[in-house]
Amino acid sequence: MNLFAQIFAALLGTIGFSIMFSVPREYYPLCGFVGGAGWLVYCLVLPYSAVPEAILAAAVLVVLLSRLFAVWRRCPVTIFLIPGIIPLVPGGDIYWMAYYIVMNQMEMAAEKGFEAVKIAVAIVLGIVFVFQVPQKVFSAAVRLFRKS
Amino acid sequence: MEHEREIMDVAIEAGHILLENGAEIFRVEETVYRISRHYGINSGSIFTLSNGLFVTADSVGTEPFAKVIHVPVGSAHLDRVAAVNQLSREIEEGKFTVSEARAELERIRNMPGKTYRMQVVGAALGSAGFAYIYGGSPIDSLAAFIAGAILYLYILFVSRPHLSKMVGSIIGGAVATVASMFLYSLGLGEHLNYIVIGSVVSLIPGVAFTNAIRDITDENYLAGVVRMLDALLVFFCIAMGVGLVYAVVQRLMGGVVL
Repeated sequence: MNLFAQIFAALLGTIGFSIMFSVPREYYPLCGFVGGAGWLVYCLVLPYSAVPEAILAAAVLVVLLSRLFAVWRRCPVTIFLIPGIIPLVPGGDIYWMAYYIVMNQMEMAAEKGFEAVKIAVAIVLGIVFVFQVPQKVFSAAVRLFRKS
Repeated sequence: MEHEREIMDVAIEAGHILLENGAEIFRVEETVYRISRHYGINSGSIFTLSNGLFVTADSVGTEPFAKVIHVPVGSAHLDRVAAVNQLSREIEEGKFTVSEARAELERIRNMPGKTYRMQVVGAALGSAGFAYIYGGSPIDSLAAFIAGAILYLYILFVSRPHLSKMVGSIIGGAVATVASMFLYSLGLGEHLNYIVIGSVVSLIPGVAFTNAIRDITDENYLAGVVRMLDALLVFFCIAMGVGLVYAVVQRLMGGVVL
């Protein structure tokens, strides 16, 4: 139940960001789907791994889906990628870092700061590697999908 | 070819719109090349920075063409990026003459953005969603919805028209924190931390961050590093704004609200 609510919140949040970035209206559901799917993977992987690894898994799925949808709907991948990746951005950790700095708990602040860096690196890795997959793979996947 | 200039102007305008509205460097350059090549200019050359375009063309028997365009980075309008992308594809399919393409670009440039009301609702939705997934309760989410809307009104009417990015982000972080504390002190919300985390999300430089990674991956280091610096600076400024308010409140009230 909680998982459902989480996915739903991620989906709504991603759509909120699509509106802010002026994504064309017909893509709102797909953007929301990308964001929600990314967060679902994060939630499913998290019990078995550290946070950055779960974020990496989620980022990989977000980029895969974004590229697939971009080929399918013939539009720039940016449209799905930017809103979809935002739930994974370490906003929470940066907040806690600032919080602990003000509270003068430097050890906690450093821990949260490094966590934020690790998460950012995980996102970078996800984007970098999935963009190496040739475009042909996605075109083929879309063709297969259209046929069936 | 006397309308070389006209062709290059159309190609550059397409690149300009893309760069201004949050496209990757790779897409900007590719689009300019494709459009100029389709209309018969093979000598075009382009160099792109995060805030400028340098374009030259030098076909045999024509005046050399060169143009530098300064592109201040605005807020992202991904619908315009999609529209130029579509136009460039249709130009390659031969559906547009040069002057038709120019008219279409003019239309895309003037595409109405989302209304302010829509944008505020979007920001509020984003805040509510993220307050929840970062660990807040549904009530926290509601408080973040309101605080996020207040922050976005500040962004639309104060920060964007009047303030530099750094100052705007610091004060933005502070505005969101103060709004969250106010709601919290009224009894709306259970965890102040999650309300604040949610309410500031519309300041997060998602476009700059994602594009920076893409640009650096494509080996457009110069533009990528500038965008990454931009993103990191904004992250830092938001954290500073939030931290400043906390520090002041802690001094004045000995941390009662926290």
